[in-house]
Amino acid sequence: MTVHKGRGIAAIEYPTGMNQNGDPSQAWIKVKPDGRIDVFAGTSDIGNGSKTIQSQIVAETIGVPYEWITYDNSNTDSSPVCTGTFASRATFVAGMAVKKAAERVRERILDIAGKELEIDPADLDIVDGEVIAKGSPQTKISVPDVAAAATWGHGELITGAGAQLKPYAAIVEPETGKVDLPPHSAISYASCAAEVEVDDETGEVRVTRLVQCFDVGRAINPTLVEGQIEGGAIQGLGLGVLETSYPYYPGMEHRGGQFGSYLAPGMEDLPVMDTVLIENPSVDGPYGAKGIGEMANNPQPPAIATAVHDAVGVWVTELPITPERVLRALQRKAAGEGEPTRKGKLIVYDEELSLAAVAHPDAPVRLVVDA
Amino acid sequence: MKAVGARVPRYDGVAHVTGRTVFVEDVEIPGVAWVKALRSPHHHATITKLDTRPAEQMKGVRAVVTAADVPLNVYGHLSALGIPGDEPLLADAEVRYLGQPIAVVAADDEQTAQAAVDAIEIEFEERPALFDVRKAFDPDAPQIHQWGNWYPHFEAGMDRRQIRKGDIDAAFAQADVIVQGVYRPAAIEQLPLETQVCQVVPEANGRLTIYSCTQALYFSMGVVAAHLQQPLNKFKFVGGTVGGGFGGKVDTATETLCSLLALKSGRPTKWRWTREEEFLCSSTRAPWHMEMADAVTKDGWILGRRMITLHDSGAYARFSPYGVTKHAFHHTGAYTIPNLHFDGWCVFTNRTPTSAMRGFGVTSVSFATETHLSRIAEELGIDPFELRLKNANRIGDTSPNGVVYTDPSTVPTILAIADHLGHELPADYRTMTSEPRSDGLLPEHLVAQVGNPEDH
Repeated sequence: MTVHKGRGIAAIEYPTGMNQNGDPSQAWIKVKPDGRIDVFAGTSDIGNGSKTIQSQIVAETIGVPYEWITYDNSNTDSSPVCTGTFASRATFVAGMAVKKAAERVRERILDIAGKELEIDPADLDIVDGEVIAKGSPQTKISVPDVAAAATWGHGELITGAGAQLKPYAAIVEPETGKVDLPPHSAISYASCAAEVEVDDETGEVRVTRLVQCFDVGRAINPTLVEGQIEGGAIQGLGLGVLETSYPYYPGMEHRGGQFGSYLAPGMEDLPVMDTVLIENPSVDGPYGAKGIGEMANNPQPPAIATAVHDAVGVWVTELPITPERVLRALQRKAAGEGEPTRKGKLIVYDEELSLAAVAHPDAPVRLVVDA
Repeated sequence: MKAVGARVPRYDGVAHVTGRTVFVEDVEIPGVAWVKALRSPHHHATITKLDTRPAEQMKGVRAVVTAADVPLNVYGHLSALGIPGDEPLLADAEVRYLGQPIAVVAADDEQTAQAAVDAIEIEFEERPALFDVRKAFDPDAPQIHQWGNWYPHFEAGMDRRQIRKGDIDAAFAQADVIVQGVYRPAAIEQLPLETQVCQVVPEANGRLTIYSCTQALYFSMGVVAAHLQQPLNKFKFVGGTVGGGFGGKVDTATETLCSLLALKSGRPTKWRWTREEEFLCSSTRAPWHMEMADAVTKDGWILGRRMITLHDSGAYARFSPYGVTKHAFHHTGAYTIPNLHFDGWCVFTNRTPTSAMRGFGVTSVSFATETHLSRIAEELGIDPFELRLKNANRIGDTSPNGVVYTDPSTVPTILAIADHLGHELPADYRTMTSEPRSDGLLPEHLVAQVGNPEDH
C-alpha cells in the first residue's frame, strides 16, 4: 500500500443575478422618531447572511451605526418584491435595492437637517449618525434629532423606497445564442488548488488542503464571505469525492434515504483551507460587491480530479471520485488499458462513456469531430 | 466606523446558535391538521384506479385533495421566461417518478394522516422507464414525456440550446492537437438541515397565512396564486428565515397543497417532510453528460471547442431549460475560445425531477472545462498555470454569446494562487494583466481569432 500525493488547480467564473436578468428586488425603509432605521425587504436569508449584508449596506449608505438597523424580511404584507435568494443575487441585486432605498432616506434626512440648521442640504454630510456641515464639522445635528424634528416638528415621515431591475436580456439569435444585452449583473472569478492523498490499495481520495482565491468585488463582510467560500468548498468536496444520490445509476438501487446512508462530508473530511480575497470592484454593484455564494462549490471537483491524476496517473471524470472508481481505473492502467485513443492529431479520452459507445447507432445525437 | 468591510457578527447568529430562531417548524398553531402524501411507488406507470373515499370516511381525517381539486393543476413556474408548464401539482393519469405526489390528506395527527394515505385505493399499470440520458434518443427508447424525451420549447421552437461563434471548421483544421473527453458529475442532494415544511392558516377574513421555508417569498406566492387562481392579496407569506436551501427551496414543494387542504377543511394545516422524503422525493442537483473536443495549437492556444451537453432533467422540466441556457452561456469557463459549436439538450428521464442547486448550470461545466484544460496541459507538456493564463479572458474579449467582458479577473485570480503556492512563472506570465493582449505572447497568425474584437 502506498499513499500518493498530488496537486491540481482550477480557475472559474460565475455570473451574478438571474441568467438573462428580469429579476427585480425592492426595499423600503422608515426612520423611527429616535433615528433608528427599519428596513423592509423580501429577501430570504437561507444562511447566506443577507440580513447582515443588507443591514451593513443600509448603515453605510445612510451614515449611521450598524447597530441602529432593524431588518425585517418576515412577510409579504410589509415587504415588497424580491425575486428570491438564488442565482447569487442577494448581495448584488437585493443589496442594490436596499442601497437605493437608503439613498432616498439619506436625502430626506439631509433635507430636514438643512431646515433645522438653515444650511443647503448639498453642503451637509452624515457621519456616524450625525449630520455635519462640510468644512465646518462643529455645525451639526444628530440623526436622532433630525428624526425627532421630522416626527414632532415638521409632521413628516422619513422614508425611502428603492428597486433594482436589470432588464431582460433576450436571445435574439436562437441559432447562435446571441443576446441583446449582458445576461448577468456581474461576473465573479476564482481559482483553487487542491492537494490530495490517494491510497492505491483502497482507492480512497483524501483532500488534505484547499487554497482558494476569490475575486469578491468588495467584501461587504469579510467573515461572512470567507464563510461562504469555505462552506461552499466543503460542498464542492462532497460533489467531487463523496456524494451521489444514485450510487449505481442508471441502476436505481442503494439510493440513500437517511444521513447514515448518504455520504455528505463530515468533520473528518475537512481539509486545511487557505482563503485569499481579491477585491476587483464590479462596475455597478453595491460598493463594488459581486455575488460569489454559488460559485463557492464549483472549482474544487476539477482541482481534485486533476490532483488525483497527478497522484496516481488516472483520470476519473465521472463524479464522485469514489474508491471503487479509482481502483477500477488503477486496474485498467495496470492492464495497459484506459489510455486515450490517438488517431492523427485527435486524442480521445473516455470513449467508453460517450454517446457513440452507449447510444443506439441510429440515435441522432453525437459529438462529431472532424480531425 | 465604516459598516461596509466590517466583520460585524451575523444579524441572527446568536439566535441561531442558542436555538431561539423561530423556523417554520417552530410556529405553534392550535388545532393544526397534519398533512401526508400518497406518492407513486413506481418510476413510470398509468394510474388505473384512484378511490379516496376510504380515507375520507376515516375518523380524524379533515380533507383529501387530488388533482381534481386543483383549480390549475399544471402551471409553468417559468412561463414568464417562455418556458411552458409540464408538471401537474398532483399526478392524475400518469406517474413519472418514484415518490411523485398523487393525493394529500389532512388529519388530526400525523399517524391518522398516514393511515388515511395507506387507506386510499390505487392501482397502476407499470410502464417502461428511461434512466440513462444517453439512451433517450434511441429509436427504441421508451417514450416518457408528453413533449417527447427531450425539451422542445427553446426559442423559435428549437429542441436544443445552441451556441455558434466564429469558424469552427477552420479552428479544427488549424489545430495541431484535438483533445476530446467526457465529463459526468452526479446527482446530489441539496441537503438542508430543515426539510421541506410549511404551515397554512385559513384566516377569518378569507386570506391564507402561509408559513414557508421558501428561498423566494414572492416567487412562491406567485406559484400558489397561479395554481389557486387567486389574486396576491389573498395570501400572506411568512418566512425569510430558512434552515438551509442551496437551491432546493426555490421550487414550491408544499405551500400549494397545504393551502388547498386548509381551504377544503377550514383547518390550519402543517406538512413537514420526513428526512426520507427530503432525500427521495425532493429535487436533486442535476447530473450532466458533457462531451467536449478542443482544437489547440502545440503552444497551448485553444482555438475552438465543440461540445454537446445532455442535462438530465428527471421527469419534468422545472428550471432545467434555464439551467441549460446558463450552462451554454458559460461553457467556455474563464477563457476566451474564439470558435464555438455547442448543443445542449434537456433530457427527460424517470428520475426525481432535478432542479436548482448552488452553481446551477455552471458547476457542471466548471468541472468539465477545468479537468479538460488539465488534460490539455499534460498532453502538450505545458505548465497548467501558463495554459490558463494564456487563454484567460481579457477586457474587451467576448463571451460565447457575444457579450463584451468589461472587468474579467481570471488573470489576477490565477496569479494570486500561483503566488500563494509559490509556483514560479516566467516573467511575461508573472506580469500579465486583464488588459487587452499586447504582450507579444499571441502569435501573429492567431490575432484575428484570439485577439480583441476591435482588432479584427
